[in-house]
Amino acid sequence: MTSLTLGQQRVYEARPLPSLSMSLVSDLEQLLGADRVLHEPVELYLYSKDASSLVRGQPNCVVFPRTTEEVAEIVKLAEVHSAPVVARGAGTGLTAGASPTEGGIVVSTTSLNTVDIDPENSSAWVGAGVINLDLTLAAAPFGLQFAPDPSSQSACTVGGNVANNSGGPHCLAEGSTTSHILGLEVVLAGGEVMVLGGLAPDTPGLDLKGLIVGSEGTLGVVTRALVRLIPVDPDVRTLLIDFDQVEDACGTVSDIIAAGCVPAALEMMDQRMMEAVENWLQAGLPTNRAAILLVEVVGETAGVEAEAALIQEIALSRHSQAVRVASTEAERQLLWKGRKSAFGAVAQLAPDYYLHDTVVPRTRLVETMRDVNEIADRHGLLLVNVFHAGDGNLHPLIAFDSSDLAIAEKVRLAGDEIVALCIRNGGALSGEHGIGVEKRDLMKMNFNELDLDAQARLKETFDPRATFNPSKVLPQGSLCFDFGGVRKEVPEGAWV
Amino acid sequence: MTVAPGAIPATIRGMEVEVPSGSEAETGLAPSSPEEVETILRFATDQRLKVQVWGGGSHQGYGRLETPDLVLLTNRLDGVEAWEPDDLTLTIGSGTQVARFEEMLSERNQTAVMPEHPGPATIGGVISAGVSSLKRGRLLGTRERLLEVIMVTGDGRRVRAGGRVVKNVSGYDLSRFVVGAFGALGVVVSVCLKLWPVPRAKATVTDPDLDLLHTLSRPLAVLERNGVTQVFLWGIDEEVEASADRIGGQMTPGHTWPTDPEAAFRWSLRVPPALTAAAISKLPASWSYLAIHGVGEIRLGSDDAEGAQELREWSEASAGRLVVVDSPRGSLPDFDPWGALPEGIEIQRRLIGQFDPSRVINPGRLPGGI
Repeated sequence: MTSLTLGQQRVYEARPLPSLSMSLVSDLEQLLGADRVLHEPVELYLYSKDASSLVRGQPNCVVFPRTTEEVAEIVKLAEVHSAPVVARGAGTGLTAGASPTEGGIVVSTTSLNTVDIDPENSSAWVGAGVINLDLTLAAAPFGLQFAPDPSSQSACTVGGNVANNSGGPHCLAEGSTTSHILGLEVVLAGGEVMVLGGLAPDTPGLDLKGLIVGSEGTLGVVTRALVRLIPVDPDVRTLLIDFDQVEDACGTVSDIIAAGCVPAALEMMDQRMMEAVENWLQAGLPTNRAAILLVEVVGETAGVEAEAALIQEIALSRHSQAVRVASTEAERQLLWKGRKSAFGAVAQLAPDYYLHDTVVPRTRLVETMRDVNEIADRHGLLLVNVFHAGDGNLHPLIAFDSSDLAIAEKVRLAGDEIVALCIRNGGALSGEHGIGVEKRDLMKMNFNELDLDAQARLKETFDPRATFNPSKVLPQGSLCFDFGGVRKEVPEGAWV
Repeated sequence: MTVAPGAIPATIRGMEVEVPSGSEAETGLAPSSPEEVETILRFATDQRLKVQVWGGGSHQGYGRLETPDLVLLTNRLDGVEAWEPDDLTLTIGSGTQVARFEEMLSERNQTAVMPEHPGPATIGGVISAGVSSLKRGRLLGTRERLLEVIMVTGDGRRVRAGGRVVKNVSGYDLSRFVVGAFGALGVVVSVCLKLWPVPRAKATVTDPDLDLLHTLSRPLAVLERNGVTQVFLWGIDEEVEASADRIGGQMTPGHTWPTDPEAAFRWSLRVPPALTAAAISKLPASWSYLAIHGVGEIRLGSDDAEGAQELREWSEASAGRLVVVDSPRGSLPDFDPWGALPEGIEIQRRLIGQFDPSRVINPGRLPGGI
């Protein structure tokens, strides 16, 4: 296994594979059949990392269970062999949360793919491996949709959304994934299967289901989720508003909310990002402006028209140069494509990117963006911005070439400075991507020893043998990531 | 166990106050700071004392609390630490009364989406009991308001979880986890809440044409109180008008929220949303109710407990629950306040053991007598 040293500080060394690996593989083959157990080196390589450029692990094997019972048996076998269990959806995560850094069994959830819509209760039981967009498409004939919409929604799975408490542009108005999970079926330590929560509200006792959401696969393996579905919006207006000053764009965001509106989405893109997007998509973005806001309002026709007019008025009072309302569904889709695939566009600028996900109070956006840009300039790095302005959820992205280790080290340093800046400005480590390995050791920036100890007690209670996704989320010992050492094979990447 | 005279150290004596009416504790303590809460809970853990936590006294009827030695009043842990209207966040002490901060927020057309008739309830009590606003069908429950929590564990450790930003996935979601936990993980001392802007147009439609309700796109609330249905709308003027015109009934501007049924026995019936109407049909004739359609929460009041067992059996057979919210002391000796044990009770027990190893905070309050 490759071991790389970077800047004499951060070293990643994969743990040697457990010696029982072949016995484990044969036990799993007996359980699932040889066709659902991968163990050849080339196959394992494909499951050795997620969409981040951070860490490549090395699993002993990859399995494809079709039922919750099979997952339970896999967990029991893993415990017998002292092998870690790393659940994996589509691998679109950006924090190395699904990288099997300690080896063990990667449990691919892709065959846990049932969807059972209950229109009467506006809900659905969904297999962990169901793709987010497929759920919304399956719900559409019933006039329903799944609100969380990460930009990776055409690839990411519901199980992954649950693991990371994923967000997306539309969580401004609807909340993150946790607000849409009514129940979970989960395999816990010992292979115990539990169904937590349910259709009835306010299950008495502690909300274990809520705790598992966002726990990044470290407490157990979620096999199915009972999700809340919301009605499809009867009408929608999507506005593209451009500004000469980032300050005016941020001020417009505040004014919209102060006026009593919570749009379905409020996204911002800076000039450099617009240029990259426009260069390949030709969505008609105003690349001569400092920033744009992409605003979407939904609801009754009378309401969205009035709301769109109000937002337009606010934007003009904040010196907007132009407001464009998408006049057709195709135009709306094009604007959203520009937003959701923005990071793919960065492939034109450099072969790799490092994407941060931090949050600041919305009122600190302007100064934070200015200082983030200053950090990049000081290190001589190319940084672009596209983010969820309504939530204060920044996504500064540094485009670089990871084959140049000196540059990679600068990227790492700049990244740490950006996180520290956001924390200083009253923010949080992550808004929607999670902690994984990427920010595990930065948790100390945000929490003191007692706070982290409390979180560690939760983990220990659920998973006393540290079977589930070990070495993630909570800092322990030396840092274990290999920054910039793994090149992205596919530059379209770009899931945010 | 009782607290022997003289056993309470001087540092704690200074916090002593009158025991509130309704508490069976012998000693009342009102800490003024998180440090004082730590002192009390360390003392309670050392001495194996049972501590009842008391905010406004509005939710003391839940569960089967073991007779407490001390009652910890949170009323001095009150006040607004930070209100950031532009960030839609509010940071307050856990003893702050809901009515007080909601009134303050309304001056800037904001709300924390709390219960509409809180009485003396505090934010700490609302969170611990896990009770929610009648608007929860559209704006979700109290759990979704929690951004940051600072609490003191049973053994006196001060722990912070979450953060003061509206979106945060940094580590385990311990902040929302305290909702409905009745303090079993710790006494909450302060919280940061996510606020919501209040739109300018509001209307209430009484006795709408029920066959037309489905034409509404996500009304703020559809409530049914003792046979009378009301639809609550808010938003942009044009939207509210168009919605109200469409469903018939009698439209009045503004919102007057119905109150929970008041009676000797109060209950919370929780069923899958689609069974709300069926649940109402199962109620004994003399019971009064307030149902939140689309949610499956039905608040009930009755003069006696007759019919409760049948209702519980029906609800549990329907994936629901009948929970006792309040009852005259000793009136339901053979009726578990929570009903069937929830899944994962052993994990719950172990988790609580990690935060309150001597089980000093509100022992007996939770399902399973935890």
